[in-house]
Amino acid sequence: MMKTILTAMKISISEVMETMFFLPVEYSERLAAKEVKMLKGKQNKACCLDFCGDFSGTVYLLVPSRFLREMAENFMGEPGDLFGDEILEGTLTETVNMMSGNALRKLNAGSPFQLTVPRLIPGSEFPEGEGSIIVKTTGPEMAVHITLQ
Amino acid sequence: MSYSILIVDDSLPMRSVIKKTIRAAGYGQSEFLEAANGKEALKLLKNNWVDMVLTDHNMPVMNGLDFIRAVKADAIIKTIPVVVISTEGNESRVREFMDSGAAGYLAKPFTAEAIRDLIVKFLGEASYDEDYSDSNENLDF
Repeated sequence: MMKTILTAMKISISEVMETMFFLPVEYSERLAAKEVKMLKGKQNKACCLDFCGDFSGTVYLLVPSRFLREMAENFMGEPGDLFGDEILEGTLTETVNMMSGNALRKLNAGSPFQLTVPRLIPGSEFPEGEGSIIVKTTGPEMAVHITLQ
Repeated sequence: MSYSILIVDDSLPMRSVIKKTIRAAGYGQSEFLEAANGKEALKLLKNNWVDMVLTDHNMPVMNGLDFIRAVKADAIIKTIPVVVISTEGNESRVREFMDSGAAGYLAKPFTAEAIRDLIVKFLGEASYDEDYSDSNENLDF
């Protein structure tokens, strides 16, 4: 099951990043756990949302602060020098919302998934271990993690 | 022609992107109202007439589905077309939106063209000779 979800999530991440942020992405083939540990040590922003349906779990997103500003600039179509936390954190939470909803839609489950409203978390709470995807961008790497209940 | 459009989404950046995309599609004269959830949107609709509502589903306080049901239960505002723009959209969820009275559905992520087609469907073609004061906005869509 996890492998299927991760595949759907990778397709979803590419679609969201290219359609809404005009940023092509690739996926690191290196050991994700090690990469996540390195990413968590940097200045970053993280958020998560829970989903429930035919199966339930949580999707986490970790984005380096500098790259989040670039994403917000592309998203909003304006220079990000004056963007405050509301714009940056709104971009982050909307991104995890789009990535998650789009991925779960691809799984074609019988009943619709319920998604919670995304919430911000400290970067240090981003999980490590199986279920992580390292996303290579034009800038720094970011990470997505899925846990299943 | 000028329209009044209500955008309901808890994400400030997303409301801004939708608004800019609609303006760039030629509806620069339109007036935009914004709400962060269904409850706020209902308050706005009590005092403002709008030509169209674009709403997210996954929002705090009141989600999109409950908002649509409330609009359609109100004799005065029930004729306003409400279109859902949401990440949540498997077949049964979309059917639920439509059965509740939604006029249409657009999945996130979306392209600028998809938003334009949606607006044209409900409000008609924009007249491009209108004075669009924000036409220099940098919109890469």
